[in-house]
Amino acid sequence: MKNLRDDYFNPFFSHIYVEKSVRNHVRTQKILAKFPSAEIIEISHYKDVFCRNRQSYQLQHCAQKLILAARQGTLLYGGAPVCQSFGNQYFYYVSCAMNCIFDCEYCYLKGMYPSANIVVFVNLEDIFAEIERMLENHPLYLCISYDTDLLALEQIIGYVREWCDFTAKHENLKIEIRTKCVNKSFVRNFTPISGVIYAFTLSPQTVIEAFEHHTPSLTERLSCAAELIRAGCHVRLCFDPMIYVPDWKQHYEEMLEQVFHMINMEKIVDVSVGTFRISQDYLKNMRRQEPDSAVIWFPFQREDGCCHYPNDLMEQMECFLTERLEEKIPKEKIFRWKM
Amino acid sequence: MVYIFTALYCEAHIFIRQFKLIKNQESTWFQEFYNEISGIRLTITGVGEIAAAAAVSSICSVYKPTQGDLLLNVGICAHTTKKDGIFLCNKIIEKATGKTFYPDILYRHNFCEGTIVTEMLPWNGKKNASPTENLYDMEAAAVYQTGIHFFGPHQMIFLKVVSDSGAVEEISREQAEHLMEKYQDCIFDHIEQISYITQKNMCRRNRLHQEEDRLIETFCADLHCSKSMRDSMQQYIRYLTLAGIDYVSVIRDMYEKELLPCKDKREGKLRFEEFKRRLF
Repeated sequence: MKNLRDDYFNPFFSHIYVEKSVRNHVRTQKILAKFPSAEIIEISHYKDVFCRNRQSYQLQHCAQKLILAARQGTLLYGGAPVCQSFGNQYFYYVSCAMNCIFDCEYCYLKGMYPSANIVVFVNLEDIFAEIERMLENHPLYLCISYDTDLLALEQIIGYVREWCDFTAKHENLKIEIRTKCVNKSFVRNFTPISGVIYAFTLSPQTVIEAFEHHTPSLTERLSCAAELIRAGCHVRLCFDPMIYVPDWKQHYEEMLEQVFHMINMEKIVDVSVGTFRISQDYLKNMRRQEPDSAVIWFPFQREDGCCHYPNDLMEQMECFLTERLEEKIPKEKIFRWKM
Repeated sequence: MVYIFTALYCEAHIFIRQFKLIKNQESTWFQEFYNEISGIRLTITGVGEIAAAAAVSSICSVYKPTQGDLLLNVGICAHTTKKDGIFLCNKIIEKATGKTFYPDILYRHNFCEGTIVTEMLPWNGKKNASPTENLYDMEAAAVYQTGIHFFGPHQMIFLKVVSDSGAVEEISREQAEHLMEKYQDCIFDHIEQISYITQKNMCRRNRLHQEEDRLIETFCADLHCSKSMRDSMQQYIRYLTLAGIDYVSVIRDMYEKELLPCKDKREGKLRFEEFKRRLF
């Protein structure tokens, strides 16, 4: 074997697929300028690449490609029943990018999408226009970082800043940016906006090391969250999904101690608690793609098309965390996911 | 196994020589050469989309490729401007239908990349001047469309050596052979590298599953498991193995305490519940 190096995969975004219709879009130009040596491949529709048969999610994740496209059809979706609405009546989510640069073994995106390549929709202006139409009728609570980690892509696409600027102009719009990312340059150079909630997904360090590949450590996430709180931002902590590992109680206890030590819990907007659950169909796809992942091969209990930990384990895990959190924050600020 | 498909013998000879391929005398429909030790099976499809589709379909139906296998379509082609070079195709257009296909380019390589257009007839550069720089051949789109029934887009490689700019009739068999020889080293290196990576990933997976299967077999027999209990057990053992939980000592302890083997299915059910209780 000649010259076989360990890094035999192509680097991230070595290839960028661009829909013909957005080739000259200003955001496309800005993104492409960041990858001068990428191979640019023109496509008719993003699904021609994204929805091919028999793709390997696992292998593609080792050499992710970028697809730049225009979002057409439905631009905003009603919040899914397995997602937490945090008491908001008009709960919607938007998908301005699909897939994530992080590689969390339990992530539902692996079951939902046929490809690990990242799609970025460059026509953000169409999404903004649709939101403005809806805001004429009622306020809106919008999750913008469900099908991706938008903050992790910020240096490439700059969408979080655009969303923040847009939200600042609309009083009745509240957005949630869910992330595991620690984007220090973003945190240092921005102004807090009242309608923006930064939601950090937290897990014990053992879970991060075992299943949340390439993500920042618990300490880094907490330090970023603490910095945002000090700057006057709204911060939410998401203990969701809680992942079962042997000695889970000890690991989650250690995590909470660190959280309470680093975060001023009185300043937290709210917290969410929920054990891992997933649609049966997504789980089936994930198991096919990841035959060696312990976290998704857990013998789950099936109920109404949804797979979750056995009821007693689920109850134990969620109650443990909720009770400990109640020692630090009022009950009404704790949102526990219910089946 | 690497399944190589070329349209002509003159495109195949470098592989036959390098990998010491033996002709399969039993193959009556297509010329087929193989070497089980090298893990190469080469088929000469004949020229054109229909011939290529028929050959890929026939070979893959017989040998049933797995996730650890690769498909390589290699041969000469035309280029709109260049008269030489080797290209790895990242986009394949079927001229007759306008359909487009995208093989995954996951691994590092030293080739130039390009778009190839597959036509039913040899491309005549003078008649069909193209505004973009493209490669032209007569098989790639058919190989992809047939191959995708058996391989993933990450398992298919399309390597094309430029022979002309729209005047294939001027290329002799010897010239085609010479062109293939010119690029043979980089082609062999690429095959070797990609098949090594693919095999490496597959070996780890197989080893893990074989260990599991052996254990499940013995344990289930001693528990008198029904089909559904066996499925459930398989699920538990797989999880426990992947999670690195020491379930073997629990099983051993059950044998030591003479809780196993069970005398009937009913007792087996109770023991299975006990096994689960001890681990969670």
